[in-house]
Amino acid sequence: MLTITVRSLKYACLLLSIAAPIVGCTRPPTGSASGSNSGGSVQISSGAGRRVKICLLPKKKGLAYFSSCNDGAEQAAKELGDVDLIYDGPSDGAPEKAASLIETWTLKGVDAIAVSPNDPGVLAPAMKAARAKGVNVLTWDADGQPDSRAFFVNQATSQQIGAALVDTMAKDLGGAQPSGKVAIVTATLTAANQNEWIAAMKEELKKYPQIELVTIKPCNEDQSVAFQVTQDLMKTYPDLRGVFGISSVSFPGAAEAVKQAGKTGQVLVTGLSTPNNMKPYVMDGTVKSVVLWNTQDLGYLTIYAAEAIATGKLKAGATTFTAGRLGAKKVQGDNILLGDILIFTKDNIGKYDF
Amino acid sequence: MTTPIIDAEAVTVTKSRSGWAHRLTLPTRQECVLLGLLIGTLLLAGRLSPDFLTSRSQLELSTHVWELALLAIPMTLIILTAGIDLSVGSTMALCAVVFGIAVHAGLPPLVAALLSLLVGGGAGALNGIFVAKLRVHPLIVTLATLAAYRGIAEGISLGRPFSGFSDSFTFLGQGSILGFPVPGIVFLIVLAVAAVMIGGTPLGLSLSAIGFNETAARYSGLAVARIKLLLYTSSGLAAGMAALLFVARRNTAKADIGTGMELDVITAVVLGGTSIFGGRGRLFGTVLGVLLIHEVREFVSWQWNRDELNLVVVGTLLILSVLADSLLSPKKR
Repeated sequence: MLTITVRSLKYACLLLSIAAPIVGCTRPPTGSASGSNSGGSVQISSGAGRRVKICLLPKKKGLAYFSSCNDGAEQAAKELGDVDLIYDGPSDGAPEKAASLIETWTLKGVDAIAVSPNDPGVLAPAMKAARAKGVNVLTWDADGQPDSRAFFVNQATSQQIGAALVDTMAKDLGGAQPSGKVAIVTATLTAANQNEWIAAMKEELKKYPQIELVTIKPCNEDQSVAFQVTQDLMKTYPDLRGVFGISSVSFPGAAEAVKQAGKTGQVLVTGLSTPNNMKPYVMDGTVKSVVLWNTQDLGYLTIYAAEAIATGKLKAGATTFTAGRLGAKKVQGDNILLGDILIFTKDNIGKYDF
Repeated sequence: MTTPIIDAEAVTVTKSRSGWAHRLTLPTRQECVLLGLLIGTLLLAGRLSPDFLTSRSQLELSTHVWELALLAIPMTLIILTAGIDLSVGSTMALCAVVFGIAVHAGLPPLVAALLSLLVGGGAGALNGIFVAKLRVHPLIVTLATLAAYRGIAEGISLGRPFSGFSDSFTFLGQGSILGFPVPGIVFLIVLAVAAVMIGGTPLGLSLSAIGFNETAARYSGLAVARIKLLLYTSSGLAAGMAALLFVARRNTAKADIGTGMELDVITAVVLGGTSIFGGRGRLFGTVLGVLLIHEVREFVSWQWNRDELNLVVVGTLLILSVLADSLLSPKKR
């Protein structure tokens, strides 16, 4: 028995002796280069040539939507020249992991953190703690609690989005008096963004008395659930004319269900998603229009805004803000508005790649 | 060291596998491997990013791990008896939601917290009754309650989040005493209690005996059913405590917290050298397993900003440690 433990100690020594040289080999080159990967050494001087460290936190890493936002963000960082961009987020979308990341970045002493909160409540304490330690916190894509951030980079107001969705559906249904039963497939019943859009959609639907909203179903941000929910909807309402898929996941799920049921043209699908996701359905006619904002511009604007806030160029009370190639953007209260809805159809979808 | 409550055969079995008396004092082979990996990780971290190793960073980052660490204690003991509890994450959610509802109904936080712990203990006891009295396999029982408890949590909360708890309560998750985070103190107390129970009473030996051969343990007069009931109840209780720590830290109680937590906990326990088939393992190994996973994860996101890398790294770690253990082990096993 004792021999086993003695042996195990021997192996521990062996392991250590293996580990030590490995660690030795990976010592970073000394001198000027060591600052670039040490992560923690942010200079606090305010002179010229100071690098601005900005962290961009998506709701979930690995989604095409957020990756395309990051493309725009990288472009902005390159143009600005003084920005070190970190893009990371929970690959499973867990809000507590997002909060942990904010805490880690705060410890490292970054200048600004731009958060797309997947759960404003869970993230709020971490965001407030970051602000208390002097980090500039802003939200983008989705808003957090108002006192947890300085600004919100808003892609479009919920009124704009709700109206665009309903008007697009009405146009696609056609006729002077568009009519028929429609349903909404949403992300989850508690998703703040989606619920605001639904409220705006209901408001806009009053313009079209012949269109009847029969039900709202959640898909729990799962494409296969969206597929099944839409199949069930078509069975429950055989005369269904339209489905709104109002998340980047529910939209393709709904479109696939309509396509497989052979109801292309009979049941119209529209909603919010990235053009690359929806290209096949737009090309085969299942989907006539896709509603979204330019996601690359959203990431681009977010980084410009974060840099301006961190360097003191953008302060509370400003009414406009110039963001590189996007030109002057409106600032409404603490909302920085991107403000353009894009509608992708067969004619223009080929021009976009994200 | 050993006590006469257990029959000679079980003792010989235990001893012949790894030597109970020595296990109490000297690290096992697996634990040495873990220590080596841990030291290696910290050395690497120190080279690449000295700021990561400062006590301020380490204390701050430690707040990410206490709930996992807390749940790993009863899980170790359960796996030691060849059982498993998959429902810990869901029980956490249930307890959190019960606490949120109770506070919003006007109960003082202390009463709400006790109620929440009661629900946790009750949820664990229900698992225990099915496992111990009705002799259903724990995998099946807790797989069922994994779904059921979360379902109840979602049902009674209607998916709403609860927040806005008082500062005296959030101190439990966010505060620190003499610079040490409060959740860490809670963990250390629970660990100490568990260690005394396992090391200082016959219970520890009984658990291994049940894990090696439950029938033999039963025939030798061990109160197998009562011990199992106790274990699953304490696991539910720990989930209740973890839920309170989580809610206090994030100031939010929601039905979707702790999702996937059970797998993280089991990973840490198995990495710590506890045999998934029962009978072999100890708390020291689990603490090392939790520590290693924590440090590696935190360092990977600190240094490389790649969350997806973390999944790969933890998986690799698990395989490496098992591989190292089987390569270094004597051939006779």
